[in-house]
Amino acid sequence: MGGFVKTQKTNAYSKRFQVKFKRRRAGKTDYRARIRLINQDKNKYNTPKYRFVVRFTNKDITAQIVSASIAGDMVLAAAYSHELPRYGLEVGLTNYSAAYCTGLLLARRVLKIRDLDQEYEGNVEATGEDFSVEPAEGRRPFRALLDVGLIRTTTGNRVFGALKGALDGGLDIPHSDKRFAGFKKDDKQLDADIHRKYIYGLHVAEYMKNLADEEPEKYQAHFSEYIKKGIEADDMEALYKKVHAAIRADPSMAKSTKMPPKEHKRYNPKKLTYEQRKASLVERLNALNSSGGADDDDEDDE
Amino acid sequence: MPAGHGLRSRTRDLFARPFRKKGYIPLTTYLRTYKIGDYVDVKVNGAVHKGMPHKFYHGRTGRVWNVTKRAIGVEINKQVNGRIIRKRIHVRVEHVQPSRCTEEFRLRKAKNDQLKADAKARGEVISTKRQPLGPKPGFMVGGATIETVTPIPYDVVNDLKGGY
Repeated sequence: MGGFVKTQKTNAYSKRFQVKFKRRRAGKTDYRARIRLINQDKNKYNTPKYRFVVRFTNKDITAQIVSASIAGDMVLAAAYSHELPRYGLEVGLTNYSAAYCTGLLLARRVLKIRDLDQEYEGNVEATGEDFSVEPAEGRRPFRALLDVGLIRTTTGNRVFGALKGALDGGLDIPHSDKRFAGFKKDDKQLDADIHRKYIYGLHVAEYMKNLADEEPEKYQAHFSEYIKKGIEADDMEALYKKVHAAIRADPSMAKSTKMPPKEHKRYNPKKLTYEQRKASLVERLNALNSSGGADDDDEDDE
Repeated sequence: MPAGHGLRSRTRDLFARPFRKKGYIPLTTYLRTYKIGDYVDVKVNGAVHKGMPHKFYHGRTGRVWNVTKRAIGVEINKQVNGRIIRKRIHVRVEHVQPSRCTEEFRLRKAKNDQLKADAKARGEVISTKRQPLGPKPGFMVGGATIETVTPIPYDVVNDLKGGY
């Protein structure tokens, strides 16, 4: 490495530097976890191993069922929380309840794709209790493994809300109730009522009531969208019940009509191809030589 | 103290990872599937310590005879004294690569099947056998000038150069 005066990366340093995998440099993939999630038993040959991928952005929730292949991961089905307005939920699209809805939507979608939705209804009434799919007669339930990505798996994380949604939807995902919202570490038991509260957004409703009573200005600022849509704290449970029912009724994906991307003005000259550059060279040489007066037969050989 | 002959003796460089390829191994090694009868190359990956074959098998090619949860059974020829034994080893998938030794053969087989099918459609009989390269045709050497070289008569006085 360079000395004190010029602390720059020497040539020697750069030559020896080994870059991490691209997605690791981007900080997007945990390869340790990925290897363990993707590795399929060799004596199962080409049987796909599905991952239930849940990712959160600042304004959206993505839930996908993905299987890995050498060409790239193949997404079997996906559900986004920005689809929830279609089912009647327009606000709070990144909270625990929305995560539950997204997981539920994905589960019903996948089961429909695989023609398992009649056989595996899952848990229609969300009670917050730990529910696992029972294998029915005939086909086995759709199995996937939860892929949390890089989030910290603390108790009550929204990822587990999505997990609960998928489980209640009828997917077979190995899990434990230790990280659901409402798990008491002291009793080592899941308090189903508390979990149910989170699924139906009653934790948000409580906060809304609290703010409305004590700090009305903050309430106006924080829950402005709710107020605009006319959603009160007491409507929460009914609202989410409706959304769950709407999701179960029609989980199919809506085709979105995308407009062709707008043409943008070019601010820099477009790069020429090899042929174009060769042709322009020939032209320039011809022009030079014709103005010079010498013969210009040789140019075409170059 | 005498040199040891342990399992991994003399493998300091053999099992070392290549320059700037240390750390996690790319995931295609785990995604490949192997069927019984496939040809595979055994190439040890020093980053994975489980299921390593003995250093003898590094660089050998064999056929798959067994597939288990995380490993492949490979049958490799080993010369012991005067004979060649078919050794059956189990190797984890990280130390195995699909072999390209039969690739040319398989491609040729597919092409020949196609040619034969076309010929059958046309009603002619063709031979798809490979022919060895024959002798090269004759050619005129271009740009050659002919220089005739003859030996000069032996000159005793000159050649001795005052050393007799």
